[in-house]
Amino acid sequence: MVATGTAFAADSVRTPHVTLQLESERPSITPGETLWLGLHFALEPHWHVYWRNPGDSGEAPKVNWQLPEGWQAGEIHWPVPQRIPVGSLVNYGYEDHVTLLVPIQVPSTVPTTDTVHIGADMTWLVCRELCIPERGSLDLTLGISQTPVDATPAVASRFDKARGQWPVTLDKVANYQATDSITLKFSNLEWLPYQIDDVWFAANAWGPIAPSGKQTWQLDNGDLLITAPPGDLPPSGDDTLHGLLVVSERIGSERITRGFEIAANPAEIMVNAPDMTFLLALVFAFAGGLLLNLMPCVLPVLAIKALGLVTHTDDQRARHGFTFLAGVLLTFATLAGLLIALRAGGDALGWGFQLQQPLVVIGLMYLMLAVALNLSGVYQIGGRLAGFGQSAASQSGLRGTFATGVLAVVVASPCTAPFMGGALGFALTRPPYESLAVFIALGTGFALPVLLLSIFPAWARFLPAPGAWMETLRNALAFPMYGAAAWLLWVLSQQVDATGLALSLTGALLLAFALWWLGQTGNATRTNRIAVTIGLLLSVALATQAGRQDDAAVTILEAEQWSRERVADLRADGQPVFVNFTAAWCITCKVNEQVALSTDAVRAAFSARDITYLKADWTRQDPNITRELQRYGRSGVPLYLLYPANGGEPQVLPQLLTEGLVLAAIDQTSPQEYER
Amino acid sequence: MNIRTIMSAVLLAAAGSTTAAVKVGQPAPDFTGIDSNGQQQTLRDYRGKFVVLEWTNHDCPYVRKHYEAGNMQAQQREAANAGAVWLSVISSAPGQQGHVDPSKANELTQSRDAMPHAVVLDPKGDIGRSYGARTTPHMYIIDPDGTLVYQGGIDSITSANPTDIPNARQHVRIALNELLSGAPVSQAVTRPYGCSVKY
Repeated sequence: MVATGTAFAADSVRTPHVTLQLESERPSITPGETLWLGLHFALEPHWHVYWRNPGDSGEAPKVNWQLPEGWQAGEIHWPVPQRIPVGSLVNYGYEDHVTLLVPIQVPSTVPTTDTVHIGADMTWLVCRELCIPERGSLDLTLGISQTPVDATPAVASRFDKARGQWPVTLDKVANYQATDSITLKFSNLEWLPYQIDDVWFAANAWGPIAPSGKQTWQLDNGDLLITAPPGDLPPSGDDTLHGLLVVSERIGSERITRGFEIAANPAEIMVNAPDMTFLLALVFAFAGGLLLNLMPCVLPVLAIKALGLVTHTDDQRARHGFTFLAGVLLTFATLAGLLIALRAGGDALGWGFQLQQPLVVIGLMYLMLAVALNLSGVYQIGGRLAGFGQSAASQSGLRGTFATGVLAVVVASPCTAPFMGGALGFALTRPPYESLAVFIALGTGFALPVLLLSIFPAWARFLPAPGAWMETLRNALAFPMYGAAAWLLWVLSQQVDATGLALSLTGALLLAFALWWLGQTGNATRTNRIAVTIGLLLSVALATQAGRQDDAAVTILEAEQWSRERVADLRADGQPVFVNFTAAWCITCKVNEQVALSTDAVRAAFSARDITYLKADWTRQDPNITRELQRYGRSGVPLYLLYPANGGEPQVLPQLLTEGLVLAAIDQTSPQEYER
Repeated sequence: MNIRTIMSAVLLAAAGSTTAAVKVGQPAPDFTGIDSNGQQQTLRDYRGKFVVLEWTNHDCPYVRKHYEAGNMQAQQREAANAGAVWLSVISSAPGQQGHVDPSKANELTQSRDAMPHAVVLDPKGDIGRSYGARTTPHMYIIDPDGTLVYQGGIDSITSANPTDIPNARQHVRIALNELLSGAPVSQAVTRPYGCSVKY
């Protein structure tokens, strides 16, 4: 240490709410250097000091430096502030701790004295609800050293921490448009973090925008758009708007906030409404719910229910209609609640999550089969044994009707995933109450036809009188159910290996046999009951065995991780690129990968043409992938892009791939380019 | 007009409506309030005169700066002599800093030798919110036609230090003089500074 006996590199003042310390980064001064000084504010809890633009009220700290002749103090370097609401107003400032750093330019010739005095006369305003203007004078006495002396580790870490809170200067093009509101537009968003939680903008000075005004932000076609209400003095046509963009990112349970210094130039900005709004999601969900009634797995159950209504009196009918609605809504709400809870617990699940479990797929397949066998007349409605399930659709009591609602949602669930992706995907990115509302809209649409039939008996009168035709229709309606079971079996075949498939098929056989036995003998004797129960238990046991085989070792084509930069780099080299936008919960994607993208022929074609295979995994929300999907007018996966060698627009492949289709696309992509 | 345009319009309208503020050049929101003497004060009644509105809170250090230095009172006098109507408005809610009953308000006027035309008590904050008053002091000038012609700070140096007053541009005084001489206001919108209004 070069410091002489009288040198001290820190000084502090204390007021009732603030302890303010002035500290030099280096313990002594070296001529010609930039010396960094820190002003550390330690505040009483809930009290705050202000950013350079204090917001609706308040005042930023000010320093009046007392420096030797020829020394120059730079501007305060402000850390990223927080928004502090004060009633209906908003301030920008800091709570708890903040360190303001100031660079001091030391001339190359310094006095020949042993020490140098640096004084800081400070004024600041500290507020909770009440504001107290305070002042204090701080002094440093620093020694002089011809060679720089490093900061002590403790001091260095304090200064580094303060530097870490500075905003990053963003030299990207930003634009704004001042109309009734101020719209800011940012393009080329590679600097924008994933998992954005919140974005807000603060002008560097009073005037352009109203700090307390509600800002909205959206990602639109690869741009970030922020709309903010104007302040008292909105920017005129040709001012550059200087300010701070504050972006919060959520990583797990942690929230990370970063600031970007920006300068926005005036420009015309087209504001598009977001692709999916809450209202639109509600409408889509409702319409989707209506459509679900026509799904092969749902229609038979609902048709039987509707026919059942004919036999009731008008009064009963309406009661049944609303009970059915209750069953449907409650089941959808339960499913939504489960999903929301799981996601809140950190699971990256999308709608369709229930089908990721082979066990669930097997269970649904059995259920479809059981309903189908019932419709075929293989067995009649038992009492307790079948419990709910197929018997529910025909039980005449209200409990039965409620159970039909539940059953309808359960059998519909495999169909909801592929058809409702957009609205439900949106719902899941929203706050829980909005997600729930979307699911309720879906349920309402789903229950509507049966509800209407029950409320307006006149409609039901168009049906022929009950008779033998009902039994025929019933038998015919079994076939869509068999079809649904077959489809689930196909889904299952993508999740389990051949043994698993054999086990679940054996289980299905046992189930069918047990149900047939039930049909032959009725439910009369105890032996029968035991035999049927054993049959069912066995099929369940087989299912669990089959479900465990979910680690099917299917070799997936090796892929590199996608990024826009990587695509750009490869294309700059003239390389062909294939991009697979996928997600773990997207069944179609997985099926495509296994059926069409992992075959030997496709692999060979990829390697022969030197096509780089990139995978964009959307299992978790990823704004970069979302933006890229939006560029191609998609709100979800799958999306397949094949960029030809040596530039040109990419070819967009269909959502359902076959090996032949992929090979044809590869062939089409500049066949003449290949020569390596 | 496609659905996108309609929705953009709705979004923009929604964004715009959140700004409660007034704009220079537009009609000033009319109000009726009870003053510290129990009289009704209605802005519309002062058509034909310039009206100065001063949001205040006697315990706010920024207000005290201007009262303890006599700056606010001096400008109130000048305004009165020029025939303008100066209304001090207190929008502090009951229990909040600066909230006063009528007798306390009169006592403050007397003890500080202030000369507003009236002190309007706005404990619900309705008048304050309709003007978007954010700070104490926050100043507005309304012309004889009822148009807002000035909004912002009392002066240009945003501090609580009375010694800054002589060096500051006294925005309200200058604006009022310009208006009285028929000239346009050179700085019609300035930064209001001070404590937050304690709604």
